[in-house]
Amino acid sequence: MLANFVLGAQVALRPDALLMTLLGVAWGILGGALPGISGSIAMALLLPFTFGMDPAVALMMLAGVYVGAMYGGSITAILISTPGTPGSAITVVDGYALHQRGESGKALGVSLVTGTVGGVAGVFILVAFAVPLSRIALAFGPPEYFAFGVFGLALISSFVGRDLVKGGISAVLGLMLATVGTDPFSGTPRFTFGSVDLVGGVAAAAGMIGLFAVSEIFYQVAEGVDWERVRGRYTTKLPSLLELWRLRVATLIGIVFGTIEGLLPGGGGAIASFIAYNEAKRWSKHPEEFGRGSLEGVAAPETANNVVTATALIPLLTFGIPGSNSAAILLAGMMLHGLQPGPALFDRTPQVVYGLFVGLLVANLFMLGLGLLALRPSIALVNVRRPFLLAGILGLVLVGAYSINNSMVEVWVVLVTGAVGYLMRRYGYNILAMVLGFVLGFMVEVNLRRSLLISLGDPWVFFTRPISASLLALAVLTFLWPILRRAREARRASPAAGGVAHRAAG
Amino acid sequence: MRRADLVAAVVLLALAALYYQQSFFVVRGFATDRLGPTFVPRLLAGALAVLALALLSRALGGRSDRTPPPGARTGLLLTIFVLLVGYAVVMPKLGFLLVTPAFLAAVLAALGIREPLPVVGAAVGMTAVLYFAFAKLLGVLLPPGPLGRV
Repeated sequence: MLANFVLGAQVALRPDALLMTLLGVAWGILGGALPGISGSIAMALLLPFTFGMDPAVALMMLAGVYVGAMYGGSITAILISTPGTPGSAITVVDGYALHQRGESGKALGVSLVTGTVGGVAGVFILVAFAVPLSRIALAFGPPEYFAFGVFGLALISSFVGRDLVKGGISAVLGLMLATVGTDPFSGTPRFTFGSVDLVGGVAAAAGMIGLFAVSEIFYQVAEGVDWERVRGRYTTKLPSLLELWRLRVATLIGIVFGTIEGLLPGGGGAIASFIAYNEAKRWSKHPEEFGRGSLEGVAAPETANNVVTATALIPLLTFGIPGSNSAAILLAGMMLHGLQPGPALFDRTPQVVYGLFVGLLVANLFMLGLGLLALRPSIALVNVRRPFLLAGILGLVLVGAYSINNSMVEVWVVLVTGAVGYLMRRYGYNILAMVLGFVLGFMVEVNLRRSLLISLGDPWVFFTRPISASLLALAVLTFLWPILRRAREARRASPAAGGVAHRAAG
Repeated sequence: MRRADLVAAVVLLALAALYYQQSFFVVRGFATDRLGPTFVPRLLAGALAVLALALLSRALGGRSDRTPPPGARTGLLLTIFVLLVGYAVVMPKLGFLLVTPAFLAAVLAALGIREPLPVVGAAVGMTAVLYFAFAKLLGVLLPPGPLGRV
């Protein structure tokens, strides 16, 4: 493993890699600071730029964006009480209170330092989990991969978002989108409607830009979303070392919940930061300060959401199942460079995986260095009038989509998926489930067909192998869980309702 | 959301039917596996139809969520969308450098910026930055149009 780390470091510490990671982090901080532009959107917008790069460098740059965006999100949370990213929603409570008290520098400093601690801890946790898990994944054959893909889809469709039917529809739409292009076995084109441009399939990068970024811009235009400007003074007096030391318990709590969320699908740091905030309050010696400008109230959620930047990569790198929006975009980035995540990635291209590990560490250190330098540009960007910002992002989206293949097809894909994504957002469908279906569709279909090829057409192959059988059972359970839970709640509620009716009648 | 769910269910059913019908146009090659290239698509069409029927029965049974109020600026969104489609149609013919500033200026005007100087300045400035980043730094061959390569 040490040799692999040396290999990774050789890539990650090359001047071009360092420069791209630095640019990625800076872009992430700026994007994260803009309300409505989450880390994943900032990453999606950058996808076309990574096309010509060394794959390892491209992934480091994208991961750098995610890392930077988490801190960027806390800048607006603290200064204008509007979270830049969902992960920093709870930071608003105490961060903004600190700003109003004239201690904005302390709040920003705590967010930066504990965020870096969280990010670095996250990388170590990532390595500790991902490397052994990738060895387990080596035992996976086609039936297990098929079952794992189905399990991932069931998990995202039923747990992310509230509506099981709409989650299922979203996932199936994504899977259908993935069938466009050349059939992996027979080589015949499917659903290309005679277009030569669609023979290669729908470009994942274009689909991501449409579903994540363009749909959000459409949503902001239609709903008239606006935010405060940063006015008045903010201080840059940083927290002292003693003050930081007092935050160790809150930071540790953030690390624990960030790790747990990273392993589970769908949250992207938002849930972990909420739970970490509540737990930090419970364990704090001064819980009464929470809500009135507690530094612990900034430290816990900001640690948690930065831990997630690394731990969310565990399911992606080991099994090829992205658990969050940003992991899905990283997967699209890998596909753009012909890389398939999973154990083979660790074996065949260790420089990419270990380069990403080292790159994440570097990105966190860059964030620490850039954090305060980027403050002024971030505020300037937040203060730009909205129409200019929206127009600029639309221009970037159009040219970026064109540049993926030097063709207009991707521009159309971005527009159509953007419109579909907007309608999905508006009517309660599950965008992440659709994206997951889209990026996993190929893998699921190929492994289904390969399994049946090996078993000579016997479908029992999925149920006689213990891992695939348990994964499929888990998938069914996961998908049915919301229904079972509702039935149980209804049963529990009905005797009580009956009792009330009885009393009323009596 | 009852009406929206009803509309969505009908559209999704139609999509499932169209997708199923289109699967008959897929040529089954010689070198293929047992399931062939149409098995998974037809399975998906079936799954989509079942889910759309579930949505339909829920909507007809009045068990849908409340419809969110329409966005305050749906008309504006349509304008922006039409501008985007127009850009995608015209840009390959007239070229990046001519169409992009016009598009950006129109978007800015639609979004309520009416002072000519900021609109023109921003539209030209953004085009220049995008051109430099993509055409010069990344070497993307943007459609030249009548202006030719600059």
